[in-house]
Order: sequence, then C-alpha cells, then structure tokens
Amino acid sequence: MNYLVLETHPAYAVLLDERGRFVKAANRGYRVGDRVQDPVLLQAAGRAVPFRFAAAGGALAGLAACFCLVFFGYYQPNFTAYGTLRLQINPEVELALSRTDRVLSLRPRNADGAALIEGCDLAGQTGAQAADILVDRAFALGYLEDGGAVAVDVLGGDEEWQAETGSSVQQVLETHYAETIVVYLGEMPPEPTPSPVVSPTPSPAPTPSPTPSPSPSPTPAPTPVPTPPPTPAPTPAPVVWDDDDDDDWDDDWDDDWDDDDDWDDDDDDD
Amino acid sequence: MVRTENDVVRAVYAAKTDPAAADAFVEQYMPFVRSETVKFTRAAIEAGHEDELSVALLAFYEAILHYEQGRGAFFPFAARAIRNRLIDHYRAERRHRGHASLQETGGEDGREFGDTLPDTRDGIADSDLRLASRQEIAAFGAQLAEFGITFSDVADNCPKQDRTLAACRRVLDHARSAPELLDRLVQTRRLPVGELVLGSGVDKKTIERHRKYLVAILLAFTNGYEIIRGHLCQIAPQGGRRTA
Repeated sequence: MNYLVLETHPAYAVLLDERGRFVKAANRGYRVGDRVQDPVLLQAAGRAVPFRFAAAGGALAGLAACFCLVFFGYYQPNFTAYGTLRLQINPEVELALSRTDRVLSLRPRNADGAALIEGCDLAGQTGAQAADILVDRAFALGYLEDGGAVAVDVLGGDEEWQAETGSSVQQVLETHYAETIVVYLGEMPPEPTPSPVVSPTPSPAPTPSPTPSPSPSPTPAPTPVPTPPPTPAPTPAPVVWDDDDDDDWDDDWDDDWDDDDDWDDDDDDD
Repeated sequence: MVRTENDVVRAVYAAKTDPAAADAFVEQYMPFVRSETVKFTRAAIEAGHEDELSVALLAFYEAILHYEQGRGAFFPFAARAIRNRLIDHYRAERRHRGHASLQETGGEDGREFGDTLPDTRDGIADSDLRLASRQEIAAFGAQLAEFGITFSDVADNCPKQDRTLAACRRVLDHARSAPELLDRLVQTRRLPVGELVLGSGVDKKTIERHRKYLVAILLAFTNGYEIIRGHLCQIAPQGGRRTA
C-alpha cells in the first residue's frame, strides 16, 4: 500500500494511506508529498496489551517465586519426611523425621511397639524429645528395666543429618538414663549366647604345645609366622591363652608359679 | 533547559498533547536517542544506521505518548522502549535476509543492482507531481488549520478499528451524496453532525468522537484536492457499507 507523506516531524511523519487512514510513522528521511511504502508505523498508546501480559507474567513469576520460597524454605524442611529414627527397646517403633528433626509420624514395627505408642502423639517434637518420651513410656509399661538396652538407628537423609540426629538422641537418652540403661547407636547388638558349661575334668590337662601347629603349606619359606619363644624347660607350663576362653575351670589356677616362688618356699619349709 | 526529574515529567506530559512541544523535546534529547541507538547497533549512525535512528526516534516519541509517572523515571523507560522497538525492527527486517539490496554493487562492471534495472519512471514528471502534491498538501493543511486542526491531530483522531473506519466511510458517502453538507462544512467550519447522523445512520457518539478525522476526510473530498482524492483510491462510494 502506498502512503502519502503529509507532514514531517523530527521523530515521526504523518502519512495518509489509500484507505483514508491518517497514521504516524517513523520519519525515514521523508519529505512532504513523497509516496512511500512499508513505513514503520507508530504503535498506538492503547496497545497496552503487551504491558498487561508482562505485568501478568511478572505477577505469575512472583507468585511462583513465593511458592518456591515457601515450599523449599519452610514446607519441605518442616513437613516432608527426610529420614527415619528407629527405636529398638523390645518394642520397636519408627519415627518419620523432617529435615529440621521434627517428628512427622510414628509407626510401630511390632506388637509391643503398637502398645507403646498407643495414644501417644509426638508430632512436632524433636527426635530426641520423642525418644526420651518413648523410653520413659517403655519404663512405665514395663518393657524396659534397669540394665536394659535401647538401640537408636537413624536411616535416610544424608550422613551428616544421620550423625547429628543420632548423636542428639543418644546424648539426651544418656543424660537421662545413663545410670540405668545402655544406649546403642545403630542396630541392637546381638544378645550374648549362653556359654556352654564345661565340666572341669582333669584329663584335658594343658599339654605343652611348644609350637603352634604349622600351617599346612609345606613351603619352607621364612614367613613371619610367630614362632614360640624358646622355653627354657619342657615343663608343662600353664599357657596363658587358656585364660582367654570362658572356661572358668582354669581361671582358678594359681598362675603365679612363675611370678613368685612361694610354693617352692612352702614346700621347702615343710 | 530541563534539569530535574520533575521538569522532565512536566515536559513529557506537555509533549503528549502538543506536537510542537514534542518536537522541541525530541530535538533537545536527540543525543540521548542517538546514544541509545549506538548502544544497540554498536556502530556509528553515519555507518549506514540512519534507519535505526529513525526507528529509535519513533520509539522515543512512543515513550513520550505512553509514559505515566507511576512507571518510574522517564529516561530508563524511554531507553527500554527504544531497545525493544529496535529489536522488533530487526526481527521484522530479518525476513529480508538473503535478498540482495538494489544499493548493492555487483556484476562485472561493479555497478549497483538498481542501476542495472530499466528506469521506467519519469523523473521530471515525478518531481512535478511531488511539487504539486506538496502545494496541495500545504493548502489542505492550511484549510485544516482554519478548523484548528493539524495533521497530527487528525492522525491521533483517526479510527483504529476497521468497524469504526467503515462507519466513518458511511458518513463520507452520505456527505458526498449531499454536496450541500460539504459546502456548509466549508462555510460554517462546523461539522453538520445532525444531518450526518440522520443520513448515514452512524451513531452520534462515533461522529463526535472522530470529529477531527471526519472534518479532514470530508474536506479532502471538497473541490480542490485532486491529488489527495486520487491517492484515496480505495475509498470507493458505498465502501463503508460493503465492509460493515
């Protein structure tokens, strides 16, 4: 479409198109009376739609930023599960903890655990407070007695969070119950199996085994196998390693035959 | 000399409605517009970026028209408007990439492509036509000035929507069918709104809202403006009714 230049200004020119529209356009060196094509037309002041879109977009972006700030800054650290704290007494319970060490939920892991947490609302407490309360309830309900043991196991989250949470729980429990219970961090250690009772028969007298049994490998290479110290006499020396086992039959022995020579003296006196 | 921000705002608001004030303001801050253009083009204006400067000047004028005091300081607003307009301009020009310019030199003799095309124009006739157009436009502007109207006012008052433009054409069609209305317009320098409403069926508010435009377009169809009427070739009789 052709435009007739009617008026020129430093910033714009007034053009008349063939349909009778008077328009303002960029003055690209036009002169009055010129006929031009493809002018750069002035954008009407009423064309505020892009600004509204921009404002709406900015508002949406602001809302999204606020949402992210609230979600990641407050909600997620406080109200989403980050790890679990497992408390093993005899009852076994599991607490879901947030990043900020808030108890979110409580779940029994066995029947005694269900009895222990029945009617117990620990939401919002810290892990250490909840563990303290549960141990106290375990005492009250008879699940735990003096000399008992409690295992605190922290799962999930990162290692630093696990270490912090576990140590805080352990510290609180040890502060309150150090005199009465043992607190383990991690899995409950297996209970010691009862040692077999060995009758103190005299036959299994300690044989003087001067050398440990050689290894089955017949290689004569000088391996750093500890050789027994040279014994001065082949007397049936009561070897010390017998004391390490739990057989108490030899613990009563008077091992001080080589510490002092009193027995010799007694004999001599007699 | 405009010094403080309040003075700038006052000058901008004056330039919104007064074309002379707008021209003075643009002239005063021409270095600012050139600076913003050079920031965008990263080259001197004289190095073939006159077109960008003209677009930047238009953007500066748009910034004057669109500025509101609540949008902050004027010059950052204007700088942003200039930059956005130049980006739009570059995007629009991108479609011409790959096309050779008539000003480019090429061929064996190193002449511009435009020089190799046969010149079908009659330079003398074009010059005469331009001169005649200029005189006719000057006369047209002078007659509009008797109504207290400038071409800028008419452009500001011109219908933006096709529907409104079609309504204005219906008014023009009715006035052309009743030449006494055009004569009365020239003599009394008043728009015969009542007759135009009755004859065209266009709402009175529409006519009142676009009074300056209607005065200009009706004057163009009075005697004496042959070149302008010839330019308005797409305004056919009853055109408004066809597009309504």
